[in-house]
Amino acid sequence: MTLVRRYKHLETDLEKLFTDIVAEIRKEPKLNIVSVMNGEVNGVPMMSVIASRTSIPKILVGTLREVTVTISGNPDDYLIEMHVGEWLRNLVVPNTDAILLVGPLTGLAAAGSHQLLAATYGRDLKLKIKELIKKHSKSEYTDEKIDTFID
Amino acid sequence: MPFVRRYKDLGTDLDALYMDIISELQQEKDLEIGKETEGIINGVGFKSVTAMRASLPRAVTGTLREVSVTIAGEPDDWLLELHTGSWFGNMILPGAGGFLIAGPVGTAAAAGTTGLMAAQYSRKLKNKIKELVKKHSGKPYTADKVETFID
Repeated sequence: MTLVRRYKHLETDLEKLFTDIVAEIRKEPKLNIVSVMNGEVNGVPMMSVIASRTSIPKILVGTLREVTVTISGNPDDYLIEMHVGEWLRNLVVPNTDAILLVGPLTGLAAAGSHQLLAATYGRDLKLKIKELIKKHSKSEYTDEKIDTFID
Repeated sequence: MPFVRRYKDLGTDLDALYMDIISELQQEKDLEIGKETEGIINGVGFKSVTAMRASLPRAVTGTLREVSVTIAGEPDDWLLELHTGSWFGNMILPGAGGFLIAGPVGTAAAAGTTGLMAAQYSRKLKNKIKELVKKHSGKPYTADKVETFID
């Protein structure tokens, strides 16, 4: 799942926002930060963090594999990209016995909170980022300041 | 771009295949291996490697951010997942003003060999993996032994 949002006229402190996002990712014990990049691309600041799963899950299909969050732009016009990768998502189609190789889907539900599901983590992180943007922006957060691009 | 293939009745040496895939990733100077995971899931072998870009690119849109290759199964019935992530891939659409922040696609093309494009790398790696599967399989590789699941 990849989600890109463009934020305008928010006067956001992007350094603080990025630091808080990295801290948020660090809170998840099943994730390990493997790369943090901070610099300029095309004359505008760019910050990117990649975290990947620390251990093998009990069930594979749909569990979180890696997370990437990238911020690029200036306080009044910037993009945030959030990518949440999951293992073997393409196997979630009816009538494929390939899923039996790596664990049936029903196992996911049975696994309950033990499993770090990409969809759940992606939703939680998206909401947290929204909260952090509000925290670090001087201007009011409104829908018309945001444009969403979904993959 | 996630891509999953199931291979049957090939008698593939999965350990040797995995090692060669890692070597292939290591040959790309813009990538560094970030995480390797190996173990057993659902009673079958599982190996996964994630490599990410070592530094910020000159242009962002469409350039390779991370690669993840996963192998799960047994020599005669196994799955391979290849994921290549690119920065702001969803901005490659007409009229997306967000392009101007992250750098137009033209810049990436102009960067030539310094811009490691995700789509190109994915195609190259996919072909290389096919070659390696043939090399490490004890039985003939034929189209009817391979099933592809596209996201």
